[in-house]
Amino acid sequence: MADVRRPRPTAEQLGRRRTLSAPAKAGALVRLLLDRFPGLASTIWTDDDTVEVQIDGAGNVALLGDLRDDPELHFWFLADAAAVDYGVGERFEVVYHLYSDLHPAWLRVRARVDRADPHIPTITGLWEGANFHEREMYDMMGILFDGNRDLRRIFMSPDYRSFPQRRDFLLPDDAADSQAAGVNPLERPETWDLTRLEESRAPGVMAGAGDEP
Amino acid sequence: MTSELRIPDPLELEAAEEGRLRAVAGLPPLKRGGGEYAGFESVGLPDRPPQTEREREVYTLDEGEMLVNMGPQHPSTHGVMRLVIKVRGEVVIDIDPVLGYLHRGIEKLCENATYTTVMTYVDPMDYLSAMHNEHAPAIAFEKLFGIKAPPRAEYIRALVVELNRVFSHGLMMGFLALDMGGLTPILYSFINRDDVVDMLSAISGQRMLFNFFRVGGVNFDTNDEFMSRLGTWRAGVLKTIEMSERILTDNEIFRGRTVGMGVLSGAQAIALGVTGPSLRASGVPFDVRKAHPYSIYPELEFDVITQAGGDVYSRYLQRVAELKQSIHLIDQIVDKMPHGPVQAQVPGIIRPRPGRAYAAVESPRGLYSVYAISDGGPNPYRFRMRDPSFVSLQALPKLMPGRLIADTMAVMASFDPVMGGVDK
Repeated sequence: MADVRRPRPTAEQLGRRRTLSAPAKAGALVRLLLDRFPGLASTIWTDDDTVEVQIDGAGNVALLGDLRDDPELHFWFLADAAAVDYGVGERFEVVYHLYSDLHPAWLRVRARVDRADPHIPTITGLWEGANFHEREMYDMMGILFDGNRDLRRIFMSPDYRSFPQRRDFLLPDDAADSQAAGVNPLERPETWDLTRLEESRAPGVMAGAGDEP
Repeated sequence: MTSELRIPDPLELEAAEEGRLRAVAGLPPLKRGGGEYAGFESVGLPDRPPQTEREREVYTLDEGEMLVNMGPQHPSTHGVMRLVIKVRGEVVIDIDPVLGYLHRGIEKLCENATYTTVMTYVDPMDYLSAMHNEHAPAIAFEKLFGIKAPPRAEYIRALVVELNRVFSHGLMMGFLALDMGGLTPILYSFINRDDVVDMLSAISGQRMLFNFFRVGGVNFDTNDEFMSRLGTWRAGVLKTIEMSERILTDNEIFRGRTVGMGVLSGAQAIALGVTGPSLRASGVPFDVRKAHPYSIYPELEFDVITQAGGDVYSRYLQRVAELKQSIHLIDQIVDKMPHGPVQAQVPGIIRPRPGRAYAAVESPRGLYSVYAISDGGPNPYRFRMRDPSFVSLQALPKLMPGRLIADTMAVMASFDPVMGGVDK
């Protein structure tokens, strides 16, 4: 169930490439990327301080490793790793932002992940600090990082069943307008272990009318 | 016929009695650790099988080991966080930080708010550097919307941001000492901190969560009260800092507990994603203000300070040096500040074209960045914040094994984490 208030644009519209001329300061980096990774030529996109490439999720470790270890690229610092949900029936993206002191632009690597079967290799072998980012992405979006030794929930409690930052997880305000009106989506029965809910209800407190869906 | 008289072990008796009482009260039986501490309850042991390899590693107790919970209400965890510490005697074997006690889902809230109201949601992230929290989204949204803040607004932004850094670093000096049992420096820190907070409340109208930045400018221009407080503060600030410094920097007890403690090498810091003063204290000259200059920083004169040591003491010295550098920057900003408007013309409801923008700023704790995606609507399609203290916290389990429990607080305070930012 996508957002009910207004039609969301498709992933194609969101990800469409604006035809901007590459600014002079990122030009050297773009040329270098074209030289090293000719396969990515059609995905290169530039902003005034960012150069972006898109890849398939499975290729993330190889590409990021090359970007880090190539002496001319030398992207030694992982600034950020985040997940983006493009909606039901579309895809996830894991977005890495890299920094190099040789180039005056951030490098953004967008890795596509299948939304129905969200698996992507972990990059904790390259940067150990990616672990917390990957745990957060798993907790919030439900993306599974193959090979991560510590992939468990980080913010929500371990018995929580839902992935709150997915687009189809609605906040109560939105749910009031939706087909599921009246049911608090944060406590949808299919996302919760009902036996625990029953146990946690204090004795003597009757279930109110509002509790029933 | 002889019956062997067996004298029961008192611990065993106690356990049996406790078990009986728990059964009467309807509570589940206690779980106990192994080895010589078998009589003690292992309070941190989760009541379910481990989910990951790492969790199994932390929560499996060897002979003589036990788990100790530090937090979530511990005064020196800088907020609500729990550290599960595996100890043998007083020596730390392993640490597992348990987060989420302060999780408010700010990213999700921001995705359901308009671009203007996002500024109010990001304030309580890292509540000791609220100005920095607003700076990065302001830059990102301006990039998305294709506008620029007027020059005077940029100068005011840089001014309040540096003031915020001064009070954040000043507080860190005090809290580091407080976590090691020294009560006096925090009182001195608060002298300086209250001056700055009063000043910022004079310009923004609020004391801690300023809500001062706008897309395309700032909320208010400078006023007489702000400028007069700034002048008074500037006249005496170096003296108050020197006072705090005199208590700590050459203090033998302070040095004894911090020098050589929690040494983080540069390569390790990079791998773990540690940023900001903690990274520079390990000798890596990475400062976003120089690496990817934003706002008016290209026009200001300053150097990236680094320390060689990488220990708790170096991280403390780094903060002191950056505090003084920020005061130097404030002098330059006030000196160069131009006249003009402080807010660009922006419509009431901002609807940027579809696109994406990344903006990073140097917060007192390191690289704080925002990745915003617009779908053409009035609220961000995706709003991602990278908080430096969240990532830096990963260094703690790497540094502590082999050290004493009491030093855990000192090492943690040296990274200056703020749980509002860690838990989002």
